[in-house]
Amino acid sequence: MKIDEIKNTISQIFAMVELEFRRVIHDPTEMVTRAIQPILWLVVFGGVMARAGVFSNIIKSDYITYVTPGVILQSATFIALAYGILLVFERESGLLKRLLASPMPRFNIIVGRSIAGAIRGSIQYLIIIPLAFLVGAHLVPSLINLTLGYIFITYGLIGFTSISIAIASILKTRERFMGIIGAITMPLFFASNALYPIEVMPMWVKVIAQYNPLTYIISGLRNLLIYDSLDIALDLLALTFFNVFSILLATASIHRIIE
Amino acid sequence: MKAVQVKNLVKVYDGKIKALNGVSLEVEEGSICSILGPNGAGKTTLIRIITTQIPQTEGEAKVFGMDVKHEGSKIRNLIGYVPQELSLWTDISAYENLLIYSKIYKIPKDVRDKRIAEVLDLMGLEEAANRVVKTFSGGMLRRLEIASVLLVKPKLIILDEPTIGLDPNARMLVWNKLTEYKKEYNSTIFFATHYMDEAEKYSDKVFLLDMGKLVISGTPSFLKQLVAKEKIYITLKNGNSQKALKVLSKLKEVSIEEANANRFVLSTKSSKKALPKVLNLLYKNNIVVSEVSIKSPSLEDVFIKYTGHKIEEEGNIKQALATRRMIRLGQ
Repeated sequence: MKIDEIKNTISQIFAMVELEFRRVIHDPTEMVTRAIQPILWLVVFGGVMARAGVFSNIIKSDYITYVTPGVILQSATFIALAYGILLVFERESGLLKRLLASPMPRFNIIVGRSIAGAIRGSIQYLIIIPLAFLVGAHLVPSLINLTLGYIFITYGLIGFTSISIAIASILKTRERFMGIIGAITMPLFFASNALYPIEVMPMWVKVIAQYNPLTYIISGLRNLLIYDSLDIALDLLALTFFNVFSILLATASIHRIIE
Repeated sequence: MKAVQVKNLVKVYDGKIKALNGVSLEVEEGSICSILGPNGAGKTTLIRIITTQIPQTEGEAKVFGMDVKHEGSKIRNLIGYVPQELSLWTDISAYENLLIYSKIYKIPKDVRDKRIAEVLDLMGLEEAANRVVKTFSGGMLRRLEIASVLLVKPKLIILDEPTIGLDPNARMLVWNKLTEYKKEYNSTIFFATHYMDEAEKYSDKVFLLDMGKLVISGTPSFLKQLVAKEKIYITLKNGNSQKALKVLSKLKEVSIEEANANRFVLSTKSSKKALPKVLNLLYKNNIVVSEVSIKSPSLEDVFIKYTGHKIEEEGNIKQALATRRMIRLGQ
């Protein structure tokens, strides 16, 4: 690959990210309203569970702190997984036809939009983390850890956005798409370490949780934000597998959306 | 050099619906060519194959000599395409749309803003540049879409129903801008339409398409001459229609197509010569004429002659309009 080609690839990928930024700036309502639910989880659910002292012998921190990464991921994952609806809209308008007839390779469309969706999702991190500090979560108050956490969660959400694009490409209509997304979000959340440690799960949920990418995002975030540890290599590796797999899957299926 | 070359093109959707049934056509580089036909004729399918969006089932399609199946990425670098529906992000501004497109189309950073300003100016949108696209009228939307294509200075511009749903003024404006651009850069324009006046007025060559097949093609004047006949419409003042029918049927220059109470439709090779004779004859027989009009043959007549049905169906246009409106409001 020549330098020019690499430059063009990066420029095209970032055009897709820039597009998303500009849309959010024109209308940030969704970003704010989406944060309401996790805030309730954190304050009400987290508060009650903390007072009951649940898992106090396992989790090495208070429950509000423990659950913070989990509730961020709950709404962030939903945003990433719902991102594909945008492609369904773009399919109904002529935008996708135009994009697929443009010189931008399909791979660049997928990677660009997956990063865009991931950034849309990780905005939740930026809203909820300060609030978590306010309600007394004991997160590591280090700018480095917090920044690493942001990059890490964004990276982890790329794969979920790609999966969403692949699902949109195959299902094509908004009803079917939202039906599936609604059906997988909660199971994904419950079969992960978002609300409770893996140790307390029944065996069969444990098995699922180990194959659930959400588990690795949350575990990495906990290491960075709660335990002040950089031990995230395994999580990164798992998420890299997931991202590569999802991006390839989405690249292979995107053409189906306009057929 | 042929900009587009299509041979025996067949497209079958889902193994059932035959959208194209052996179409062959050629578009000369530097010309403006149109495909004219009713909805469902296969125009959009043909365009989608040429723009490398979907593969054909059989046959061959080439753009500037390159095969759509194997050299798609090279072709995509040379074409500018506006789909029938809407190819803009409606929740950002006009300028932002062009900026994103300029990056997608790899326009170098140092000329980006200059080019964007140029096309906004050409399309008469400079004052609306920073408005969110949602607030645009139908005509402005189309002009912005065309601006986003001209931005790239494509060798081949492919437009699917470029003026669908626009009022006559907006349509004229779109075409004035397009032809202005064409003159300057000598690009090739290939467009699909179901407006016969548009095909007639703006194209060097028209391909009539119906039910997935090419009906006939040629320059608009060649096609019209195939129908040859002009029509004379006459309305009589008094109820002498029986008598009028009798005298007119003796006249060699015209033949009676329709006789409906006081209204007559005559066809003729030349209305210039026939009309004085018709009027004279009626005058001599004391038949008073209240209205006369002449209609030259149109591409619609050609289409009817070769397919037996009309191009435009009102319902379909309304439907297309409603779709566009929904897309605009929905986002």
